[in-house]
Amino acid sequence: MMKIAVLSGKGGTGKTTVSNNLAALNSDAILLDCDVEEPNSHIFMNPRIKGDEDVAKDYPVIDEEKCVHCGECARFCHYNAIISGPSATITMKEICHSCRGCALVCQHDAITYKQREIGKIYSGTSRFGTELVYGELKTGELSGVPIINKIREMTGEEHSILIDSPPGTACSTVAAVEDCDYALIVTEPTPFGVSDMKMVVEMLRTMKIPFSVIINKAWLGDREVYDYCREENLEILGEIPFDRDIAEAYSTGKLIVECDPKYEDIFQSLWNKIHFIGERIHGC
Amino acid sequence: MIIALCSTGDAMESPVDERFGRAAYFLFYNTITSEMVSVINEAKTAKGGAGALAVQLLVNNKAELLIAPEVGPQALDALKKFKIPAFKQGENTTPELAVLAWGNGSLEMIKDPGNKGLHKV
Ligand code: SF4
Ligand code: SF4
Repeated sequence: MMKIAVLSGKGGTGKTTVSNNLAALNSDAILLDCDVEEPNSHIFMNPRIKGDEDVAKDYPVIDEEKCVHCGECARFCHYNAIISGPSATITMKEICHSCRGCALVCQHDAITYKQREIGKIYSGTSRFGTELVYGELKTGELSGVPIINKIREMTGEEHSILIDSPPGTACSTVAAVEDCDYALIVTEPTPFGVSDMKMVVEMLRTMKIPFSVIINKAWLGDREVYDYCREENLEILGEIPFDRDIAEAYSTGKLIVECDPKYEDIFQSLWNKIHFIGERIHGC
Repeated sequence: MIIALCSTGDAMESPVDERFGRAAYFLFYNTITSEMVSVINEAKTAKGGAGALAVQLLVNNKAELLIAPEVGPQALDALKKFKIPAFKQGENTTPELAVLAWGNGSLEMIKDPGNKGLHKV
């Protein structure tokens, strides 16, 4: 079945609106909220939590007795997570990417690894019947990639997967979008929307993931997004009108498909179009 | 004593850099010999850990004190472990003026981290 990523250039452009409304209408799909710095799908999907799991990550610990402060480990670390000087060698666990390379280069057997918890993954059934999995990165942690990778590993091939990915083009976005069959970029018709969106377009092209654009709050701002899509030959798959009802539903934790049948049509036809495209390009 | 400074150029008269981890140059000024060594900051374009790499540079060049615009939380922790105190360059426009101000005792010590450079990876 199809794996569909929902992305945006920056937060707050309606990414959750798109992924959650699609998920609410299609209860055999699974929604993965990979926006681990600010997951909010559970607010709207309101799942009954069935399980949670800690996500831990390795970090190096240096044995003061054995370390001769030769600096090999610091020179090796690609992420600059170790600083070594004549009087001390220290590790910075927030920056460490857990590659475990530093222990290999240490000739003095001074490095071992410990684990620390960086976040949690929750899973449950939403009030629409759709399964939801979402991750939460602890505040102060810099990288949600291990959590996202784990969320992605948890699902098989038998259901359609909708992924609410982190905004922008960081490593965490790449992890969330990797090997998806299709992507939707949600954007607003404002000049800022366009410049943030360009980076996402470039990222998806590099990753060779087919995508189209959904314009949220259509007709609100200027035409720049439309011009850009035309110039770049990007398909606009759908438009979500600017509507006070949406904001109102949003503020009470409801989805717009619950409030207005008109939106059921909009989102269901969006879903159908995506699967039609999927069949055409991947046969899935 | 060797003082490390953040600079946009390779001279004591160059304008100071407004960033620590991503400063263009580090200048190492020896207060005893008045000699200065300038080092291009390779971490300027590093994806992450620029602050940490900058601290490594300071350690390699035997800096004993840092004058900087501000220092991020991780780098400040690391500086403490290597016993390198950090002072705010404040309104001083060049490394030279910053060193003079430090000599007068008019620079403020950096006790709390700034987070302008905090970089998500
Ligand atoms: S490589 Fe080993 S001995 Fe050398 S500084 Fe690192 S931990 Fe210490
Ligand atoms: S495990 Fe890898 S990323 Fe972490 S400190 Fe060691 S070398 Fe650096």
